[in-house]
Amino acid sequence: MQNKHLSSQFDGDLSQACAQLLEMGGLVEMQIRRAVAILAQASLSLAEEIFTTEIRVDALEVAIDHTLSSVIARRQPAARDLRLLLAISKITTNLERAGDEAKKIARKIKFIVGNDNHAARTMPIGDLRLASNLAADLIHRALDAFARLDMQAAIAILKEDDLIDREFQGFVHKLVAYMMEDPRVIGAGLDLLFIAKAVERIGDHAKNIAEYVIYIIWGADVRHRPLAEIEAALQGNPANPPENLS
Amino acid sequence: MNRLFIPILCIFASASVVGLVWDTPLVATLSTLGGGALGLLGWLLLDNWRATLLLAWLRRLQNAPNTPLPPQLSGVWRMTAERLLRLFRQQRQQENRLSLRLENIRDALHASPNGVIMLNGAGRIRWLNRSACQHFGLDGKRDIAQTVTHLLRDPLLVAYYTQRDFTHGITLDSPLATIARPLRLAVHIYPYSKKCLLILSRDITVIEQGEAIRRDFVANVSHELRTPLTVLAGFIETLQTLPLIEDERCDYLARMARHAARMQNLVGDLLALSRLEANPPPDLERWTPIKTLLAACAAEAYALAAVTAKTKGSAQHKLIFPAEAELDAEIAGSADELQSAFINLVSNAILYTPSGGHIEICWTPTPDGGATFAVQDSGPGIAPEHILRLTERFYRVDSSRSRESGGTGLGLSIVKHVLQRHDAKLKIDSTLGAGACFTAVFPAERVRRI
Repeated sequence: MQNKHLSSQFDGDLSQACAQLLEMGGLVEMQIRRAVAILAQASLSLAEEIFTTEIRVDALEVAIDHTLSSVIARRQPAARDLRLLLAISKITTNLERAGDEAKKIARKIKFIVGNDNHAARTMPIGDLRLASNLAADLIHRALDAFARLDMQAAIAILKEDDLIDREFQGFVHKLVAYMMEDPRVIGAGLDLLFIAKAVERIGDHAKNIAEYVIYIIWGADVRHRPLAEIEAALQGNPANPPENLS
Repeated sequence: MNRLFIPILCIFASASVVGLVWDTPLVATLSTLGGGALGLLGWLLLDNWRATLLLAWLRRLQNAPNTPLPPQLSGVWRMTAERLLRLFRQQRQQENRLSLRLENIRDALHASPNGVIMLNGAGRIRWLNRSACQHFGLDGKRDIAQTVTHLLRDPLLVAYYTQRDFTHGITLDSPLATIARPLRLAVHIYPYSKKCLLILSRDITVIEQGEAIRRDFVANVSHELRTPLTVLAGFIETLQTLPLIEDERCDYLARMARHAARMQNLVGDLLALSRLEANPPPDLERWTPIKTLLAACAAEAYALAAVTAKTKGSAQHKLIFPAEAELDAEIAGSADELQSAFINLVSNAILYTPSGGHIEICWTPTPDGGATFAVQDSGPGIAPEHILRLTERFYRVDSSRSRESGGTGLGLSIVKHVLQRHDAKLKIDSTLGAGACFTAVFPAERVRRI
């Protein structure tokens, strides 16, 4: 995915960092997928896998940091290479946190199902299915955008994160209605609120990853900027056009 | 070379003649030699010009294959050019043939329902077909030369790929799979030529679903049979051990009879289903008037409605059958099977509609020459997520209620099977709270008017 450098060893180092990051991405994606399945079926047989994968994710996070620091120390990269390395570091953090959110979901569902069967049956767990599917899909597409360095895909992700936020708002209103109707489900309701928040956070992490992808390609930091401004800047900046290098 | 000498000799000759006329041997010799040298030079220039022409033509030929031969070329040069042109055309033809064949093979691979991804020695995608794109969510053009593990990140697949033990395949969920639309893949990697790899993927969603349905079926049958059996065993034990008064004994025996009847119904339905599966398809030549089928159906329906009303002690359902004059058609196939399917549909409507509800049975010819048999009730309706699965064996919208009402969970499966054997389709339309309509749609070749 890189342009050729004079030192082919440098290319090797960079692609190793990318490979490690995407391997970690695969693991986190799997964790999130399992969490989504647990949410949809309220079955716990998959929860164990999420917890065991966590160890591998953490190990990879440490390994990636090590690779990055050694590449920066030995090669003193500049421009695009430096951006790539910085972005990998940030994306690693985001991925690790997204994995944690998946773990949180599994743990909360385990708690709800284990404690109070009545609450689990009456509460609208199924309503989170759409939002959680969307979040898992966003993480997948964000990593695809990184692998392909695809500007358009990254911008599409920024747009779609709003959808998850709206789903989250709607779900909160619904939970409030449930809890007002029957105070006995407040405990389970609060747990579900945490789950919904975790789903929403996974969507945010996907959005962050997409922002770093734009940073690598374009060189501009688009965090904390309104989407319209980013799009306008992208169209009105022919001097530094988004190039799709692969 | 011969041609070279002719003009030189001419020049020599003419120079000699000049020399002779001058009549000085020295001048004659000098002019002979000078004329020869001049002639040689002229000839060389002419020859070079022709060679340059040929080269220029060759250069143009590569871009525009139809460039005509320059008319100035003659003799050896012309023959050389013609020979080159022939070689050039032959090569072109061969290239075209080969690329056509390659295109053909690629098209064939694209048409395959199995995904094919070819990797080079460095693990980068060299080529992939359309099915592979659909299986893994890849892009056939853009993802060429991408490292495969960067895009196929499933830990299971990555482990399989990196361990390089390709004696067995693996199964995994596609990255595009969702809860609503599962996509299960069987993936096998094969090494070929030097360090290259071939990733084959096959969609096994349907196979796995079939397996799951079979497992569920066995589990369901056992469960359905065990419940009445447990009850029966319990009553038998009570009768054996406790001294009972006559009334109690009668009550227990009546309950036992009810459970035994339920098991009988279930076994009867199971046998009916397996008969439907095993028997040859019903005869197209045997015609039954729809009038007789519906008369039998109506008799059963009224009896069932009366019994339900009596046991519940509530108002009887209002059944509306079509007038006999409308039933001027015959239907081809097995009368017994069709009758049981119709009765199943009508009795379902009676069982699931609260007492006092309306049930309307219609027989309507369709414009294409076929006909539909429809049962519309005024019951509570069916939620959309249940409708698709309604004809699965033992599928129940509300398990506690249906068993109470005496169903076996196989009725609609039987209906669907019978209709399939008669080339007909079962259509279910319903909205929650607004009743349900079950329609059997018969094709034209199965229906004729009388």
